[in-house]
Amino acid sequence: MREYVSAPDQDVVISSRVRLSRNYEDLPFSPKLTPEYAEEVVDRTARSVFSSRNGASFMLLKMRELEDDARSRLVEHHLISYDLLKYAGRSAAMVSSAGTISVMMCEEDHVRFQGLLPGLQLERSAEMALGLDEKVGDDHPYAFDSQWGFLTACPANTGTGLRACVILHLPALVAAGQMGAVMQSVAKLGLNIRGLYAAGSEAQGQLYQMSNVATLGRSEEDVIRSLAVATEEIAGHERAMRENAEKRDMLQLQDALMRSWGETMEARLMSTKEFMKRYSDIRYAASLGYLHLPIPALDVLMMDLQPGSLGVRAGRLIGEREGEILRAQTLREELKALSKEE
Amino acid sequence: MMMCEDCGVNPAVFHFVTIRNEERTERNLCPACMAKYKRQLPGLDIKDLAGILNHLIDGGRGEREEIAPEVAAITCEQCGMTYGEFKKGGMVGCAKCYEAFREPMTALLQRIHGNTQHAGRIPGGAHSGTSIRMNIDRLKQQLQKAVAAEEYEQAARYRDAIRSLTAQLEQRERNINVPPPERIGNGADGEGADFHA
Repeated sequence: MREYVSAPDQDVVISSRVRLSRNYEDLPFSPKLTPEYAEEVVDRTARSVFSSRNGASFMLLKMRELEDDARSRLVEHHLISYDLLKYAGRSAAMVSSAGTISVMMCEEDHVRFQGLLPGLQLERSAEMALGLDEKVGDDHPYAFDSQWGFLTACPANTGTGLRACVILHLPALVAAGQMGAVMQSVAKLGLNIRGLYAAGSEAQGQLYQMSNVATLGRSEEDVIRSLAVATEEIAGHERAMRENAEKRDMLQLQDALMRSWGETMEARLMSTKEFMKRYSDIRYAASLGYLHLPIPALDVLMMDLQPGSLGVRAGRLIGEREGEILRAQTLREELKALSKEE
Repeated sequence: MMMCEDCGVNPAVFHFVTIRNEERTERNLCPACMAKYKRQLPGLDIKDLAGILNHLIDGGRGEREEIAPEVAAITCEQCGMTYGEFKKGGMVGCAKCYEAFREPMTALLQRIHGNTQHAGRIPGGAHSGTSIRMNIDRLKQQLQKAVAAEEYEQAARYRDAIRSLTAQLEQRERNINVPPPERIGNGADGEGADFHA
């Protein structure tokens, strides 16, 4: 049996992530990064990270040495960015054993440090990324300008180089047609919110990601604080909307969510698109107490059943239909096991 | 980036204005939501909008401002990238490009971030050489201002402060050549207490 740690505000906030972009001052940036220089970036970063306090817990993964499914799995679990794969010929990643810290190398910038934790834990995520960043920066000086801060390949990240992000589950706000209003209000705070997996005009799984826009002119603490405050605010609205929905017609809400659960438990084929809808319904039902399931486990399951991760789980290349069968079957079994545990 | 006011999922690329019974409504929409409205407007064909759409996307990304040829030709001596190349690809070639493109870059950073002064961390924490260098840079600017304003007493104080900081920096750089032994295998905080999933 796996253990799942519960984290603050997990009824609404799936995870908190902080990324820091850094470049070594003595090496050319992305557009001029030859394979030899890229090798040097990976080499010096890896040495530095391995010699850090918890260095032994990191694994070095060179993208060109990984199978497609293994690469996708890293993206689906948010351990690396999708963009790292665009540079798969030269890029690499280091991931801590707990999956909470990762270091991306030779993407758009030489190095991107990432702290990732479940629930609303932005400060802690930032601390983890900054701790490792300091150690590596002590070993090899970063490109830095006294007026403009840390210099990045794209000027959109210059300054702190910090991009903080929360992933939110907002089924009640979506159902109430409130997302437009939410977006307009967060824009005023210098934040941006958008669908995590956008498909047409729908955000799959009612999942949204919210992050800071600017990186120059505000301190790391300031940016993190305002994102955390906005997240709590939105979580508050989402909870109020969930309450409203129950007040309006609890039986109808229960009926809709529990039918979805029933269909999930009887399904024999499950596409990724349908899965995201079922996941959202089941997560919503669990947060309202209609289903007794640990929410952190549902979030892990959501990532585990994405196409690449499913392939890794199967241990071989699987076709679309086979994937749908395996997803439906695994989902049934896992949910059955989880509801027994609770 | 402005997001679609209807779905909130995709970036808005259309500015959609309707006038009905003298009532004017304006919306910023993504292509998917625009298509929904299109169905309600029989005379409008979404295909006709493709050209406008491309133009809008280009306009948003490239910002379409004309770069004067002499600005586009500014070249970084370190890596050979020109400002024109940078504007096309969106990424600089090395750290020195920022220095070479200082003037147009200042305007660009102002447009992107609404600010041009870093307010965050500096490498190595408060006692590092970088923080000293930052203070020296700042004092030098103050010194120039004071001299320009003929405030010579103030200028002398800045000059002394710069001397003292420069001495500190030199001292530091002499010491830095000998790495402290406790650093080896015992770096700064890496992971700390970990979360176990």
